Amino acid sequence: MRARPGSALWLLQHEVRLFWYTTLSSPSGKAPRGFHWKLVAAWLGLWALLHAGAWFVVGKLAGGNGDTPQQLVIAASVLLVASFLFMLSSALKSSVEVLFDRGDMDLLLSSPLPSRSIFAVRLTGVILGVASIYLLFLAPLAHVGVMQGHPRWMALYPVLLGMATIAAACAMLLTLALVRWLGARRTRVVAQVLGALAGALLFILSQLPNLAVQSGERGEGMLMRLAKSSAAIDAGSLVWLPGRALLGDPLAAAIVGVVALSAFVLTVMLTHRSFTRGLQLTAGVTGSHKRPAGALRFRFGSDLATSVIRKEWRLILRDPQLISQVLLQLLYLLPILFVVFRKDDGPSLAVGAGLTLLCGSLSTSLAWIVLLAEEAPDLLQSAPANARTIRRAKLAAAIGPVLALVCVPVLWLVWRAPLSGLLTAFTICGVTFGATLIVMWTGKPGERSALARRGQGNGTGILFEMSHLLGWGALAFLLPYAAGQAQPGIGTVAGVGAAGAVAFGVPVLAWIFRRRTH
Amino acid sequence: MTLASPSLLVTGLRKQFVRPAVDGLDLSVARGELYALLGPNGAGKTTTLRMVAGLLAPDAGRIEVNGIDLARDPAGAKRSMAYLPDDPLLYGKLKPTEYLEFVAGLWGVDGATAEPRARHLLDWLDLTKHAHELTEGFSRGMKQKLALAGALIHEPQLLILDEPLTGLDAGASRQVKDLLLSHVAKGGTVILTTHILEVAERLAQRIGIIQHGRLIAQGTLDQLREETAAHTLEDMFLQLTGQA
Repeated sequence: MRARPGSALWLLQHEVRLFWYTTLSSPSGKAPRGFHWKLVAAWLGLWALLHAGAWFVVGKLAGGNGDTPQQLVIAASVLLVASFLFMLSSALKSSVEVLFDRGDMDLLLSSPLPSRSIFAVRLTGVILGVASIYLLFLAPLAHVGVMQGHPRWMALYPVLLGMATIAAACAMLLTLALVRWLGARRTRVVAQVLGALAGALLFILSQLPNLAVQSGERGEGMLMRLAKSSAAIDAGSLVWLPGRALLGDPLAAAIVGVVALSAFVLTVMLTHRSFTRGLQLTAGVTGSHKRPAGALRFRFGSDLATSVIRKEWRLILRDPQLISQVLLQLLYLLPILFVVFRKDDGPSLAVGAGLTLLCGSLSTSLAWIVLLAEEAPDLLQSAPANARTIRRAKLAAAIGPVLALVCVPVLWLVWRAPLSGLLTAFTICGVTFGATLIVMWTGKPGERSALARRGQGNGTGILFEMSHLLGWGALAFLLPYAAGQAQPGIGTVAGVGAAGAVAFGVPVLAWIFRRRTH
Repeated sequence: MTLASPSLLVTGLRKQFVRPAVDGLDLSVARGELYALLGPNGAGKTTTLRMVAGLLAPDAGRIEVNGIDLARDPAGAKRSMAYLPDDPLLYGKLKPTEYLEFVAGLWGVDGATAEPRARHLLDWLDLTKHAHELTEGFSRGMKQKLALAGALIHEPQLLILDEPLTGLDAGASRQVKDLLLSHVAKGGTVILTTHILEVAERLAQRIGIIQHGRLIAQGTLDQLREETAAHTLEDMFLQLTGQA
């Protein structure tokens, strides 16, 4: 079907085509944009597997054809609320992309298309993009449900689309409000960080038992009380409305649908002008604080290494994508910190491994940004500066923040359990240096914005990074364990040996297989 | 650095990618000269400049910058020159002041020397009022001017510019041209490539025309006029490159 050129439907077809070109048609970005049978077959294969898994799960959960058990309603509600948080996270990222990163808005807004249509289509694009992944993974449950006598489970489709609509409307409104309050440039940073936080909120909530332990309450007790109080709420309560909607309760599904439709219509009706204003703001962004000409402040006279480190740290601190990723990883650090700073017993073995894995992952990201996403390599190469000094300064710029970040918990560990703490410090240093070197030797250069896709086309490098990380993680777990035993068993010694071989051997392999251009 | 030596001396320069990009190029540019290198697309202009700037290793040939062999002492040769490609070498998340600090650090310029220069350059190029903004929000002209300020912060003897005026408005273009002429008036050397023949005609003391990686004509405007019997540089260029 071909829509009338210039209509909203025609624009939607254009959006879908772009989505296809950028995400589905060409995994490498180099292949032609045609129909990629291998990719589609891989997705279909995955979908078939998900159906097989769903068959097993639904058979256990749903039971007979009678009334829906309350536990299932609770589980569906929790699933939907969790999905909504992730949807909100994705929608915030998409809103920022639509508002700031897409290069075609000037073209669209300069055309005779009504801005209301442009906004409606962009919002629809965000909704479909956000909902697609959840439909892919959750739709098999509905299909299998239908096959096992629960036809109402097909409500999953409209309910998920409805939740995605509500999430996209909230995200878009929030982004536009932020543009008004903070200005376009800051909005970009704040929205990305909020997106990351929304995604991590679920993880933080799952760690409430650790918080309870910190405050003296037994974590298990808290969970039990939560479960009991959940079961005590009647299945017909408003609290479980999302779950009932997902499982096909007509009234609940209709409520979700009406709320979603209202959110969509209201967002389109009320904000399409703000949307245009927001874009005009972003187009004119050149910084918000203009100081008078006399207030020029320079910090000249630094040596080469200091200049390079200062420049790298400035770029890191001003990179919203990187900052949101680091913040996200720091959020995952929080539960570890609860354990580290607990007063009742000694630090667990998992803490050292957790800190080690975190440092390895963080230093990998920073090393790639600093070493391989250099924005002006020709400037560095055309300068009379010593290339080795620049490289070392860049390594220091990548490693420094990671070690600074974990120094307090590590010093705390050393103070409380010196041997175990020192071993953790050793594994943290080892993984940080090793990960940085592996990235330097085997990483694939790219633009800073490609951080999330840096592994594409570099399977060997990613394999080295992952195995190195796991090697040090295992070492961080096993070393304090072995040190705590009077006579470590043969299994422990073998484990330490194997983990050590991986941790130290992988960087050597990475050096052997290094990219010759470096 | 030998005072008697030319600012740039290139002999027998060769570079081959799929086909020869630069094919036995000889070039000499005197100190205090503004030299324009012209040529059709793909003639080898940018490849030549990148080899002179030390960004690309030649397959054969020799490059001397102010008497220093680039292959033997790259740092020494680079110390007295600056390279500005058509796409400015900037960092979007740095402010102009921070960018100049960084470039000064790369060339090892001390603070006492760099600061007044930076103030002067920002002022001259009308960038002082934007000194506290991130360069990612700059227009093409502002970016080009800031990159030029970065190139001049260490007062290079030889300034190499690849299409420095592309995409600039009349005001920015005038500022850049004034800066280049001032650099030459102070004894500096400028080598630039451009597709805007009027710029070469009005600014350059000598013009070189390159095609298929070879210098096919070189001289002052009058010398080229005599050689081709054409009146304008455009006619000369089209005639020499066989596009007339």
